[in-house]
Amino acid sequence: MKRYFVVVIAAVLALSACGGGSSSSGSGSGKHVNIVLWHGFTSPGAELDAIKAMTAEFNRTHPTITVTPQFAGNSDYALQKVLAAIAGGNPPDIAYLYGSWSANIATTPALAPLNSFIAHDSSFNWNDFWPVERGVATVKGQIVGVPALVDNLALVYNKQLFAQAGLAPPTANWTWTDFANAAQKLTNPAKKQFGWAYVNDGSEDTVWRFWAMLWEAGGSILESGSKQAAFNSPAGVNALTFLQNLARKQSIYLDTGSGNYLGLFNSGHIGMLWTGPWDLAQIASGHVSFGVQILPADLNHQTIAGPDNWVAFNNGSARSHAAYEFLKWFTSPAVNLEWCLRTGDLPIRAATTKLPGFKQYLAKYPGDRVWVQNLNNALQARPVLATYPKISQVIGQAVQSVLLLKSSPQQALSSADQQVNSILAAPS
Amino acid sequence: MTALAEDTRAVGLERPPLWRRVLGSDQLAGWAFVTPAVILIAVFAVIPIGWAALLSFQANNLLAPAHYIGFANYQALAKDPAFRSAVVHTVIYTALFVPISIGGALGLAVALNRKIRGIRFYRLAVFVPVVTSTVATGIIFLWLLDPTFGIVNYFLHAVGLPQQKFLQDPNQALYCIVGVTVWEWLGFDVIIYLAALQGIPQDLMEAAEIDGASRWSTFRSVVLPLLGPATLFLVVWSTINALQLFDEVYVMTRGGPIGSTTAIVFYLYQQAFSNFSAGYGAAIAVVLFLAILVVTLVQLWIGRRRVYYAS
Repeated sequence: MKRYFVVVIAAVLALSACGGGSSSSGSGSGKHVNIVLWHGFTSPGAELDAIKAMTAEFNRTHPTITVTPQFAGNSDYALQKVLAAIAGGNPPDIAYLYGSWSANIATTPALAPLNSFIAHDSSFNWNDFWPVERGVATVKGQIVGVPALVDNLALVYNKQLFAQAGLAPPTANWTWTDFANAAQKLTNPAKKQFGWAYVNDGSEDTVWRFWAMLWEAGGSILESGSKQAAFNSPAGVNALTFLQNLARKQSIYLDTGSGNYLGLFNSGHIGMLWTGPWDLAQIASGHVSFGVQILPADLNHQTIAGPDNWVAFNNGSARSHAAYEFLKWFTSPAVNLEWCLRTGDLPIRAATTKLPGFKQYLAKYPGDRVWVQNLNNALQARPVLATYPKISQVIGQAVQSVLLLKSSPQQALSSADQQVNSILAAPS
Repeated sequence: MTALAEDTRAVGLERPPLWRRVLGSDQLAGWAFVTPAVILIAVFAVIPIGWAALLSFQANNLLAPAHYIGFANYQALAKDPAFRSAVVHTVIYTALFVPISIGGALGLAVALNRKIRGIRFYRLAVFVPVVTSTVATGIIFLWLLDPTFGIVNYFLHAVGLPQQKFLQDPNQALYCIVGVTVWEWLGFDVIIYLAALQGIPQDLMEAAEIDGASRWSTFRSVVLPLLGPATLFLVVWSTINALQLFDEVYVMTRGGPIGSTTAIVFYLYQQAFSNFSAGYGAAIAVVLFLAILVVTLVQLWIGRRRVYYAS
């Protein structure tokens, strides 16, 4: 009770007492409009430099609008701060928010009307964004934000360890069997060496890797209509059995959520990771010679993407229009390419990859090539439901109990199935 | 009051006007000094607590407009098996943390309450964990207790004991957290006991010695009773602290593995800020507040009858 709860509520009070902040100097057309953008890019960092430089560029080329980027703290806690600002009646015009929050964000009346902006503007080309991004940004037909970042899971491996074990590097045709064999060969308890690492803190980090396996095995998370769980299926059992077999053979380093796996990969103790471009900088700065490959297949090579959004809030029509103008400019292919070149982030729309300058990006970030291609394997989105965090907690515990050999795949799935169905049945 | 007021009017004594009474009063300076603190406490403690109580009667996700649902949050709480196991974990934790940390601190304080070389260093060493950031110590212990790469298992191996899973074993994780938090808070208890030990009048100790009391019976019959007030304070304070266990769980286990370290405050946090059930979270906060209030009152009531206060 003490710390977080009271602090947040105190912050709500403080903000509502202060009010003010930025405001448009007038609502009529032609007047100058000031808007505020909240981000979580830390200093020093390529993203922070890029957002500063690019908002300055926008302000220079759009004399009637001034966008002020503000650091709002670690993105993990961005929602708590936005909640406080909404309660205080003074939300930022644009905020960087995780895609997993979309369904909950959609319940606030404080959102800017992006649907009507996008519907009346054919040059925005909403359908050019990756399908998984649009899926996560849209809640029951309402667009809550514009895609800000997309990533996905691919297989990163230590070339040296593969060579030492006499293994050929992973190919794009690898199956789960190939992966499991390699993981076992790379496991050596005497050298404290593991074939693979799995984040086992029971958080969404544990869960989304399992969803990728479930999809690869041909399963689904929920029945269409989202009224009933669907993961308790032969595909689900396959996925968890695959996981438990490797765990039983001590081939998986279980990370408690502190990210130790990165240091261990860089010191040659872990052969393979399923991870995304966010770990690339740290892996590249180590001494391990590494390769990247798409995920191995059971029935297919699907991956999972975790898109985040720029969510626009409604501070009156003039500011909403200005926020939309900025987001349209910022996510346009040429500007997005500039962002990718500066930060190494993946392109957020197909058109960016078709620009002539995109070759430059692939040359500058060779490790990203596979993740860009892998966006074509990101076919499904996690359910966009307000109850998703609860579902995630149930699945997190189920996966943990399988990894720790505390229950069989079928037991874990049956128990999770029951719990998720009662979450879905509860009136929201 | 009223009668007195009528009396003064009856004898015709004029009371000075209110502003003159206020400005001329000795209390004005006192009030002026405490007002900033009172405002701060009101804004950052009293009002949020009141608000949380209000929130607990609402269906509120902090985003959409809230509506009142009476006692529904509390009724759901009574039937929630996850909350029940959070209560069990918290009670087990408290039942271990409070006696171990206070007992350990008493022993250490007695050991440190003597004039030997380097005593300042030992006292400092004992206190360092208290002032070290919980997040930093949590991350260090994650490494120390790592089943494969941790130094603790390395030592166990060196002396021929079996390797342990520690924080990755649902049957061990809660006890590991007890150990880590005892280590963290021991120094605070030691400082309190050291101060209390140094406040024991020397003549009482001499009297016991002259009466031929052994060291143990001096400790048992003179020192321990005189440490009563310090012990009572530590029991109350440690219990409140233990019932609000959060930071170490958040940093080291996220309530896992398989929910085995989910304490009440961590569960509350999950409900309010991961699941967007702020009303439900507030109901947990209110229940916890009332539980702490009752436990503290009982402890103080027992303490009043058992603790010896030297006049």
